Parts: sequence; structure tokens; C-alpha cells
Amino acid sequence: MKTSRRKFIKQTLLGTSGTLLVPNFLKALEVETSSLPTTAERILVVIQLSGGNDGLNTIIPYRNDLYYQARPHLAIRPDKVLKTSGELGFHSALSSLRELFDQGSMAILNNVGYPNPDRSHFRSMDIWHSASDANTYTNTGWIGRYLDSSCSSCHPAHHAIEVDDTLSMALKGNSTKGMALKNPKKLYQATHNNFFDTLSRQRESHARAEPTLNYLYKTMAETVSSAEFIYAKSQVKQSTVEYPQNEFSRRLKTVAELIHANINTRVYYLSLSGFDTHANQEIQHQRLLSMYADGVRAFVKDIGDTRMKDVVIMTFSEFGRRVAENASGGTDHGTANNVFIISKALKKKGFLNDTPDLSSLDQGDLIHQLDFRSIYATLLNIWLEVPPEKILNGSFPVLDFI
Amino acid sequence: MVLKQNSKHFLHRAAFGPLLRENHLDLNISSWIKGSEENKPLQVVEKPQISPELIKVSKENPKQVIVKSRDELIKLNVSWINQLGEPTATLREKMTLFWHDHFACRVRSAWLAQQQNNTLRYHALGNFRDLLFAVSKDPGMLQFLNNQQNKKDSPNENFAREVLELFTLGRGHYTEEDIKNSARAFTGWAFNPLSGVFVFREKIHDYGIKTFKGKTGKFSGEDILNIILDDKHTARFITEKVWRYFVSDEVIDKDVITTLTDNFFQSGYQLDGLLGDIFSSSWFYDPLYVGSRIKSPVELLVGITAQTGGQFQHAQAPVFIQRALSQVLLFPPNVGGWPSGTGWIDSSSLMFRMSLPSVLLKNAETDIEAKDDGDINNETNAAGSKRLGLTVDWKRLASFFTRHTTEETLQAIEDYLLAKSTTSANRNIIRRQTGKSLNDPELIQRAFIGYMSLPEYQLC
Repeated sequence: MKTSRRKFIKQTLLGTSGTLLVPNFLKALEVETSSLPTTAERILVVIQLSGGNDGLNTIIPYRNDLYYQARPHLAIRPDKVLKTSGELGFHSALSSLRELFDQGSMAILNNVGYPNPDRSHFRSMDIWHSASDANTYTNTGWIGRYLDSSCSSCHPAHHAIEVDDTLSMALKGNSTKGMALKNPKKLYQATHNNFFDTLSRQRESHARAEPTLNYLYKTMAETVSSAEFIYAKSQVKQSTVEYPQNEFSRRLKTVAELIHANINTRVYYLSLSGFDTHANQEIQHQRLLSMYADGVRAFVKDIGDTRMKDVVIMTFSEFGRRVAENASGGTDHGTANNVFIISKALKKKGFLNDTPDLSSLDQGDLIHQLDFRSIYATLLNIWLEVPPEKILNGSFPVLDFI
Repeated sequence: MVLKQNSKHFLHRAAFGPLLRENHLDLNISSWIKGSEENKPLQVVEKPQISPELIKVSKENPKQVIVKSRDELIKLNVSWINQLGEPTATLREKMTLFWHDHFACRVRSAWLAQQQNNTLRYHALGNFRDLLFAVSKDPGMLQFLNNQQNKKDSPNENFAREVLELFTLGRGHYTEEDIKNSARAFTGWAFNPLSGVFVFREKIHDYGIKTFKGKTGKFSGEDILNIILDDKHTARFITEKVWRYFVSDEVIDKDVITTLTDNFFQSGYQLDGLLGDIFSSSWFYDPLYVGSRIKSPVELLVGITAQTGGQFQHAQAPVFIQRALSQVLLFPPNVGGWPSGTGWIDSSSLMFRMSLPSVLLKNAETDIEAKDDGDINNETNAAGSKRLGLTVDWKRLASFFTRHTTEETLQAIEDYLLAKSTTSANRNIIRRQTGKSLNDPELIQRAFIGYMSLPEYQLC
């Protein structure tokens, strides 16, 4: 198996005319990347639930009267909750997640947020992406700055991959940026049309002294090169695990295939949107939660127990929702929310901190107990093994769950 | 006659590249600038019957109202994109774009957004003092920065902080105490949600003594703005930002900026004077700066439409393209504005930017999906993404560019489209793409797509 895989890659990379178009300075990088040991490196997968997931109807405080008082129509009845031993239980759409929880592969952090919470989607997502204070503004993201700090000698473009057509701010650093691709084949086709081929083959421009033009040609050449490399490697082993039939699961499957392909990517990023449930929340939320949980369950199975020791999945949303329901069968923008950590490498499992305090609210919203940047700091420090202070522009307590 | 190199560089920066009718002229730069004395306000949104603040008022039918306002914001966006590409008052439009990024603001009410945009346009080339006062009393801005909630008994510092940090002095030239004290001075700066007009609410204004930047007094909001403008750091902050926009994002010539700042400050913040100083200098035309600046997505999009004279077949197409390129006018990412320079470029954005000419001019298909911004009410999330093409009169373009030989024709098109010439290797690639035995319009079309797809076209 190993031999044939290597042989295949070799044939794919050298056997087509493709290699011709990769400039020499990139070929050097490629050799370095493809000759890395096949032993797994630790991988972080970030899942973004866009729109503001209703955390209280996801992980449900089913023993709390205040919850039922605030949500006469929307509250999930205790008999429908997938109960755990504690105060909290899972939404019925989350049976797949509950399985992972029971296996000790899941940790849940409640009341995660930041000071002076912003209830606007774009601003709050901005804050989560940039890891900045609510009153500072930056155009770079925390994963991008991780690339800046750790990636000076690596093949930068695919060190962090977002499975999408466009790149989120989270993956943009000052000097290094991650790469967006919906799937390896699509990217390969997009970069390997006749025009781009020929353009990146001509090297005259690279030697130019003009820095911005040089930057453009370099980005183009790296993209063409990465696209080819990733495509070749991803063809080696197709996933055989069955995933649900939806776009989110297709993207998770792409991540699993890339992890199996050992392409030396440390961070994967993907989103599931639709959580902005202002009206008729019940059905929509149910559908999204099962899409999320069933997709993740298939992904974890695909990666396998052994490899899941090297993989951490973190799931977040830009904010939770107001404790009280609104008049349209939905909920409005809120503040603190829960964050999920899924891995076979957890040191601490289950519920890691207090249940949401529904008796002390700020303008009807939960008050955050844990700064999200503590979670980032933990993942950077313990998991990706880089000092987090500079990346996060400050010092945040490192937690002990991994 | 060929457009002189200096004129061409000027048009790439002060406008969105040369236009067809300018390409054969010996451009008179000062009379071209004079053309921007004209001010054409956007007038596509009608004043609503109910509150311009809209969302808070209509509890009965919030969704319908929000959707209507969204639709109108999109209409406003598209009409501004079209106006940016028009051949008149281009410098005013380009400066309005600059101020929209500087005073970055998201307004949910389309009426208030239009009002703010027209305020920026009115003062775009005038006096920065007037502009600052106008924006600080603009209902959309006051709402965006929560100054409606800034009251004597419970001050909200958001507005004061952004005025100091992002609009005037810049970081390092004020203290946290200055923010607290100026926030008190801005208490009561509000607007009437029914009329959409600025009001000063005496009852919630803090008339007490404030200390701001070393001065003490019963300062009003106006006093604070005056103290800010008396500080030369404000002049420098604005000058440096204008420099980055028109001259260079990479090279900061401190000595030149100091001179520009001095003149700007002494003139009492005359913006036309500052721009005049830049465009009439010799250093502005230094080859170092020519073709060295990365176009913003809107500059790229407007450039393609203006330089071809193309019309969108589908009214929503420019909105989808802005979304895919991560810059949607009227929807800046935050009050800090958009990225600039290499911040626009990553592997996927560059590939999309380079394929955009094919998509627009050849009706090539794209299956790119713009990111969902999470907001259920955002109608542009699903905007018709497949019909992005422009209708271009290639015969007309052929009549401008056809020369005796194909080489000369291609050279004429290259000179027109690129701020700085490309390599002979790239020319050969395009030569091969255009083919030989084509009729003129087809050759012109292929050549336009070829040159516009080069990394060089990303620069101005």
C-alpha cells in the first residue's frame, strides 16, 4: 500500500506536464513538504456555526425553572432532552454528539464570551476571528497570526486550509495567509487552465524588483503549486465512511481526506450557517443541529480512534441568543455561549465549568464567565505548541482540558 | 496621440484608470480636477413614511421592514457602483469612497445610509473640519456608534473613542481619560428617529467640567472637535491616510508627508489643497510609485466596467461580485474600514480576481460562492450568482484600438489597461490567446480579457 501510494504521487507529480510550471524555488519547498515523515502531527479543526447558535436550546438547562419561564413556547420539554448525569442535557437532534460525549471524547465549556459583548453578527464574528478586544480593530485573524509566528520556513499556503471558496479573516495573517479551497479537484481545475499554467511558467517577473508585483506572482505560483500538490495527494485514498448528504458533511469529508493524505496542514476551518433563528426557530434549529452532529460523528469515525488522538475539533458561534424567546417563535441576538471540544486526546471531559446562570442576566443576556481567548490560548500553547501571548496580543489563562 | 505616462498614472490613481475618450487626449490635469466640482447626490431611496430608524419602530412586522430596507440598501449600493464608473466628477466619487472607508459605517436604514453618503460626497473635496462636524452629527453614524445611548447618567464611550482613534488623532495622541471626558461632552448628541435629523438633547447632556487633552472647561461636543482639530496630529493622521490611498501603501516618505501636513494644517484643513499639492508635485509621478498599488475590489470592479463601458445584464450582479471579493459598499467589516494593499490578496482571492475578466466579459461561468455572513436578513447571500456578465460594445472598442498590425493593436490595449507595461513573455502569451484570423471585435475582446487577467492589472 505504502509503496504504491508513493509511486502514485510520484507519477502524478512528475508524469504530467504540471511540474514544468512550478517555479524552481517552489519545487524546493515541495520536496521538503512531501518528504515529511508520515507520522501524524497534531491537527486543529475549527467549526464555525454562523448566525449565532442558540446555546440554551442546544445544551439544555432542563432542571432550571427560569429557562422554562423565559421560553414558554420554545423551551425543550424535559422528556425530550437527552439527559446527562448533571444539570444539562442535549437537544434531541444531538444523539450523535451525545455518543461522543458518553465515550469521553467531548468537553463542553459554558458561558464563553468576552467583555462588552457586541450583538451585531459581523462585529462579533470579527472579534472571534481577530481575537481582539471589543473596542480594537484589526485586519488579521488569530490563525493567520499563528501562521505568521510559526510558519516562516514552511510551505505557507496550505498550512491552514479553509474549506470554502473564500478565505475568512481568521486565517489571514500579516505576512502569511491560509488557503481556501472547496475541494482539491475544484481548486486544481481552477488553477490549471491554460492561461494560469503559462503565466506561472514564465519566470521573468519573479526576478523583478517591484515588491507588490512580485508578491502577486509569488502568491499565484504558490497557489498553483499547492493546488497540484494537494490534488495529487488527495487522490490517493478516498474516504469510505458514509457521510450524510449535505454540503457541510461534504466539506467535513474533504477535511478527513486531506488529513488522511498527510498534506502537512495544521489547521482546518469550516462553517455551517443558518443559525440566525429570529423566527420559527424550532424546525430550523433541529435540522441544523442534526446536520452538525451527524456530520461530526461521521467525520470522527472516518478519522478513526487512533488518529483522533492527534485531532481536536473546536466548535463556536459568534454569540448565543437572548434567554427569553421573542414573539415570532424565535430568539434574538445574545451574548455568552457554549463551545465544544471534541477529541480523543482530552484530559478533561464532559462539562468543564458552571452551568449558565439564568438568575443574573445583563439586559436579558447571559454574562460571560470564560473569555474565548483562553480557549484559543490553550489550543495554541498546548496543542499547536506556540507561545500564545503575541498571537493573542495579551495573556489569557491556559486551561487544562488537553 | 497616446496618453502621456504622467497623465495615465494620474488617471489610475485619481480615477479608475483612463477612459476611452481620455485615451487620445493630452490631458489637462487641473481642468480634469475642476470637473469634480460637480456634486451629484445619490437619490434612489425615498424618505420612509415611518421612522428612518425603522427596525425599532415596527414591532408588528419587523421582517418585512428589514427586508425592504435591505433591498433599498442594495439598490443604493448598485447605483453608487454605477456612479463611481461615470466619467464626471470622478475625483469627488473616489474621495467619497475614501471617506466611506475612513468613516466606515453600517447603517441599517437605507434612507440614513443615503443621507450619510451624500454628506460624505458634499464635503469630499472641501474642508475636513466641515466634514468632521457633519459626520459627527450624522444620524447614521450616531446610531452606529451608539451615541443615542450616550447620556449624562450612563455615558457610552463608543462614539468618542472612534472619533479619537479612527477619525482624527490616531492611537497614541490621547488617553483613556480623554475618551471618558469627551464622551461626556458628546452626551445628548442624538437624532430624531421620526425625522432622521440631528438633535441636541439638553436634558441628557452633561454640562459639567471636563478635562480633555490638558485643557479644562465646560466643554461641549463642538469644543472637543475644535480641540482635536487644533492638534496637528489630526492633520498628519489624515494626510498619511490620503497618502496611502493616492500615492503608496508601501513607501512612506516622512519628509514629504511632513511638508504636506504643514500646508494642510495651515490651510485650515482644505482637502482640495492637499490633493492639489499631491497631484502637482513631481514626486507623485516617480516611477517608483507607478503601477505599485494593489486595487481594492471596488476599484478593480469599477475599473473593468468603466474601461470597457460595459453594462451589467443583471442588476444584482455587482453585489454578488463585491461579496465574492469581500468588499461590499455600505457594509464595511467594522468601523476600522476595509483592509488595503496586500491585505486584499490571498490564494483564493487572487485566483478569483484574475478570473473575473473572463466571468464578466466572456460570460464564463463561475461556481464561486460568496460567504454567508450569518445574517438571516441578508438578501445578497443568495443573490443571482450565475448571471454576472457585462454587455460590451466590442465594435466600438475595436474602432478605438484597431491599428495596422495586431502587435500595434495589442500594444495600444496594453497601454490603455495597464498602469505599467508587462513583460514580453506575457505579451506573447496574450498574442497566442488572441489568435490571428479573427475579426476585429473578437480580437479586441480576447486581448482585453488577456491583459485584464494578468497580475499586472491588479495594480494601479
